[in-house]
Amino acid sequence: MSDPLEGPLTAQTPASRLAAYIRGGGVIVPLLTALLAFAIGGLVVLLTGNDPIATYRAIFDGTGLQWLFPWVTGDDRTTAALNLQQTLIVTTPLILVGLAVAFAFRAGLFNIGGQGQYIVGSIAAVWVGSSFAGMPGFLHIVLAIAAACLAGAFWAAIAGLLKATVGANEVISTIMLNYIALWIGVYLFALGGPLQNDRDPSVPVSNDIVESAHLPVFWGDPVLQGLHVGLFIALAAVVVFWLLLNRSTIGYEVRAVGLNPEAARYGGMNVAKNYVLVMAVCGLFAGMAGALDVLGWEFRLATNDIQASQIGFLGIAVALLGRNTAVGTVAAALLFGALVSGTSQRNLDPSIFPPELASNLTLIIQGLVVLVVSADVLVLGVLRRGRGLLLRRRRPAPAPEAEA
Amino acid sequence: MSAKQIGWAGVVLGAVAWYIALPPLLVRTPAPSLLLALVAVAAGVASARAGERRLGRGAMLAGVVGGIGAVVATKSGVGNLEKVFVWSALFAATLRFATPLLFGALGGIMSERSGVINVGLEGMMLMGAFFGIFGADLFGNWFLGMLSGIAAGGAMAFVHAVFSIALRADQVVSGVAVNLLALGLTGYIFIAHYGDQGTPGEIPSVPEVKLPLVKDIPFVGDAIGEMSLLTWLALLLVPLMALYLYRTPAGLRLRSVGEKPRAADSVGIRVLRTRYLAVVASGCLAGLGGVYLSIALVHSFNQGMTAGRGFIALAVVIFGAWRPYGALAGACLFGFSSAVAQRLPAFSESLAVLFQALPYLLVLVVVAGLIGRSRPPAAIGVPYVKE
Amino acid sequence: MANDGIDFDLRPGEVHALLGENGAGKSTLMSILYGLYHPDEGEIRVNGEPVRVDSPSQAIDLGIGMVHQHFMLVPVMTVTENIVLGGEPRRRGGLLDVREGARRVHELSERYGLAVDPEAVIEDVSVGAQQRVEIIKTLYRDARILVLDEPTAVLTAQETAELFEVLRTLRADGVSIVFISHKLGEVLEIADRVTVLRRGKKVDTVPTAGATEQSLARLMVGRDVLLRVEKPEIELGPPVLEVDDLDVRDDRGLEAVRGVSLNVRGGEIVALAGVDGNGQHELVEAIAGLRDTEAGTVAIAGQQVGGHGVRATCDAGVAHIPEDRQLRGLVLDFTLAENLALREYRSPPLSRAGWLNVGRINARARSLLHEFDVRGGSESTLAGSLSGGNQQKVCIAREIASNPRLLIAHQPTRGLDVGAIEFVHQRLIAERDKGRGVLLVSLESEEVRSLADRILVIYEGRIVGEFPPDASEEELGFAMTGGKGRAAA
Repeated sequence: MSDPLEGPLTAQTPASRLAAYIRGGGVIVPLLTALLAFAIGGLVVLLTGNDPIATYRAIFDGTGLQWLFPWVTGDDRTTAALNLQQTLIVTTPLILVGLAVAFAFRAGLFNIGGQGQYIVGSIAAVWVGSSFAGMPGFLHIVLAIAAACLAGAFWAAIAGLLKATVGANEVISTIMLNYIALWIGVYLFALGGPLQNDRDPSVPVSNDIVESAHLPVFWGDPVLQGLHVGLFIALAAVVVFWLLLNRSTIGYEVRAVGLNPEAARYGGMNVAKNYVLVMAVCGLFAGMAGALDVLGWEFRLATNDIQASQIGFLGIAVALLGRNTAVGTVAAALLFGALVSGTSQRNLDPSIFPPELASNLTLIIQGLVVLVVSADVLVLGVLRRGRGLLLRRRRPAPAPEAEA
Repeated sequence: MSAKQIGWAGVVLGAVAWYIALPPLLVRTPAPSLLLALVAVAAGVASARAGERRLGRGAMLAGVVGGIGAVVATKSGVGNLEKVFVWSALFAATLRFATPLLFGALGGIMSERSGVINVGLEGMMLMGAFFGIFGADLFGNWFLGMLSGIAAGGAMAFVHAVFSIALRADQVVSGVAVNLLALGLTGYIFIAHYGDQGTPGEIPSVPEVKLPLVKDIPFVGDAIGEMSLLTWLALLLVPLMALYLYRTPAGLRLRSVGEKPRAADSVGIRVLRTRYLAVVASGCLAGLGGVYLSIALVHSFNQGMTAGRGFIALAVVIFGAWRPYGALAGACLFGFSSAVAQRLPAFSESLAVLFQALPYLLVLVVVAGLIGRSRPPAAIGVPYVKE
Repeated sequence: MANDGIDFDLRPGEVHALLGENGAGKSTLMSILYGLYHPDEGEIRVNGEPVRVDSPSQAIDLGIGMVHQHFMLVPVMTVTENIVLGGEPRRRGGLLDVREGARRVHELSERYGLAVDPEAVIEDVSVGAQQRVEIIKTLYRDARILVLDEPTAVLTAQETAELFEVLRTLRADGVSIVFISHKLGEVLEIADRVTVLRRGKKVDTVPTAGATEQSLARLMVGRDVLLRVEKPEIELGPPVLEVDDLDVRDDRGLEAVRGVSLNVRGGEIVALAGVDGNGQHELVEAIAGLRDTEAGTVAIAGQQVGGHGVRATCDAGVAHIPEDRQLRGLVLDFTLAENLALREYRSPPLSRAGWLNVGRINARARSLLHEFDVRGGSESTLAGSLSGGNQQKVCIAREIASNPRLLIAHQPTRGLDVGAIEFVHQRLIAERDKGRGVLLVSLESEEVRSLADRILVIYEGRIVGEFPPDASEEELGFAMTGGKGRAAA
């Protein structure tokens, strides 16, 4: 096969299809995907009697990204800085849940369980962070994050183990684990629950994180929810993701299993063991996301926080739009982080577009992104047809070996 | 006795082990139950050894669950048990919870039998739920509301069909996209139209079928004397679907397309068209499940109200080995677990929340214990490309 | 070109055999007839009328029925369901009339002696019965021309005899039959005329009356001059591979390898020759550690490895150029450097303590690509973008670079052009000359004869004979197709 585009139509695994997608589209296709999704989303806004351009403008203003423009000064700049801090606070866990989905994809697995892994991670973090009051801050933070990572890894590994041992489909098992995690979380902090706070028995919320276990704020005012150092931890995780995938023997195996399990087996790899390992690593990332949210700005976990959170699902869109690569995930996380924070009650100007509608707009755009990304063959087919016409290539006649 | 009979005997014994510890029998020592449970597990092992692996595992599972259930029951107060295990009410609640699962699962069977994975059932159901109540409100008529819900589910399914059949998208990714899209779309229109108030209280709802004579029969009357029309419809659809799949030419062709499309194609069956129709029908059925939720069960809509029922329906499909009667059994099993979970708060308010996880946990256990062994349609998830 | 200007005619009520080696173009010809491929030139006439056959359903309408080598049956459905699919009998009310279907199946089965149980599920019945179902399927659609693509390849001797009975009955009924095969004895037994193809061209059409296995074999393989490869005499080393009384099952759980014993010594090329599907695949997988063995032992340089997995086998010194380079041999979405590391990525110098040494991996890839003359890309090119010949060179480079004691080459030249074939042959000889053992599995008797020091012929999972490299084509072809005439040398 001399044509690099020849592969994907016959390719076996999602990972290899996506690999083909990366080759076929470069950075243009993801951008077009996002634009298309935003355009259709704009159509929905228009159909319900709002002005899409003004809406997107207001959302953009809410993201604080104009802080990056040097000509924005004065009060505008101050507001923008506050908004951008919020955007980056949302981006931080999105990077990590994106990695959680992307890592699985690279191994040919579909991790829809980012949400559950995030929840167990945040539960572990809030429990550790609100206990052990006397502990030195740094140690306490490390311990809380480690506990969250372990909890997430354990939770995700259940799905990996079920796949490796009895062949249970990871899509269904991770979805079920999401709901189980959710109800466990709600139970723990609900009225009369074992981890409900000690102060007010009428409020279904956890104890507060000990002051010294808060992640330090490096930009903005800690009291006004400034940007915490979790962003750097997330970026470090991106580097780890990249190194693990591209520079370690484990990552080599993960990619081989994802792209061609048959060749991986031929190369002496244990495909089943790989599934458990991969899921555990995914859970580790998602669990860490939970920890950074809890230690960075939430400082406590209420039952309705757990029920309202959708971040794990956003991770799917982040990973897919980011093409499951390290850099792509960061870029896609920033996009969705901006979208989420730009459409939040706090940042969006309600006179232009109702924020409670906007959060649903985010969901629609998210769905459209995933939908367009799913049709990789569409994009590749168009590209191939275009090239085929240009080069006037003829379909090769069936080779004699087709007989065998 | 054949391996199959032994297996079923095991399943029944497992259930009986639990049953005798509950009202009205209320055996207060665990020994007899444990003995029965042990026999059930043994029967499961024997059955599995003799070749009925799936059924055997089911019997073992029934034995273990029945045994644990019985021990828990003997440790619980009689008062609580009598509050929870009102059998006629439990039965009625089981059917109520099973109805949307059954619609979704029958839809799932349609789609997956044709070879298209349908993770989007959840979203299609949600579309049905919202547009069902929206239509009923708009037209002031439950029947037109129901039709709107069906159409909305079908429309969402059509999107899934275009992407997964024509564009050969990854079917799971496309299904996830459909779910997100449905969540956003219904939420958006819901808020845009109803605002903070939520759906009004006086929306026409699907009528209940009151059976005048049956209603007075002691147990049966409480259980099925007053059920939603849609529950009856769901139950009726089970034999109809079985008839369609196994007794009509169209059903035969549908199955062949999901098993070996190349063979179907070689005798002139149009593979892609068959799949399109199956996926859209699947969405319509899932939509009907949603309609039931919004205008027959809850009489209101809230965002994301399907709460994973579409996913459970998908698990029901697999549990039932892609067969309508199997789906009925699965829907009732999960419906029963929801019904029990709903009544368990009698024991402890705070634990009640945890019981909400029971149906999902059950799916997971069943996935682990049984599903891995059941065989899906051979061509599932593989886009068909003509030679 | 798979078919080049072939004329072929079929008379009413005859069995016409199409004979040729693997890749001679037999199946391609018949796929054109059945509407699966389209001819670039030429025409098809049925009963004297020129016709267009664009799809299988048109072929069916023309009365052409085809029994594919890989059956077009739905495994989980019953015999009757498979047969009536697409043309179902209906009861009033539109329901499927299973009883009527079963009745017609029964009727056809009685009439032509095709014993099937209409209620049985396809996956539960034997391959022979599945084939009968395929034949009934064509008769159910009123086929008058029946194409059978290597129908005996999957059958036992008993089943073959039964099939021939059926074919005779059909012939007596006026059905015309095209019988594709490369087994000489069977062709002589069943066919009225034989058309021989070689490399996409028709050699001749002859009546079977008066033909012998020898005369057909000569037509089939031709009289091409054998390209002798120069091989120095070298001293044989100790055995690197000893297989003793090995039984292996295939994916369906059937015995594919039965009691095979063989050994390969350092410094020799042992060829395993045979027609495809006679157990080579399973035997190689068992030796390479990819497949569990049922009974018997495999030893590499005296060390038992049977059933110990790929890694253990690899560590013991086995390299394996797999049959299907795109499915197994390469990760097409990996770079060449990554593909070249597939065997040794776990050990130094390619990695240390779990971390890849990318510099080393790339440097080694560069030198291997140079040494093995891989063209069309550098170490960072994706394997999928190379031509088949260069992909194969990458596989070979990787396997040879692992310094094996035993090199298994499974159809190493399949689908390659002449230049690439020559390169592969030279590398195999070079390995032999270095004192390594080479087990060559090939379907091409020419390749086998030009490379091997010893030739083992495998037929139906057993080694049926050992030949010296100067054995004649006829002699080998005879043994490979189950000929029992002459004793093994």
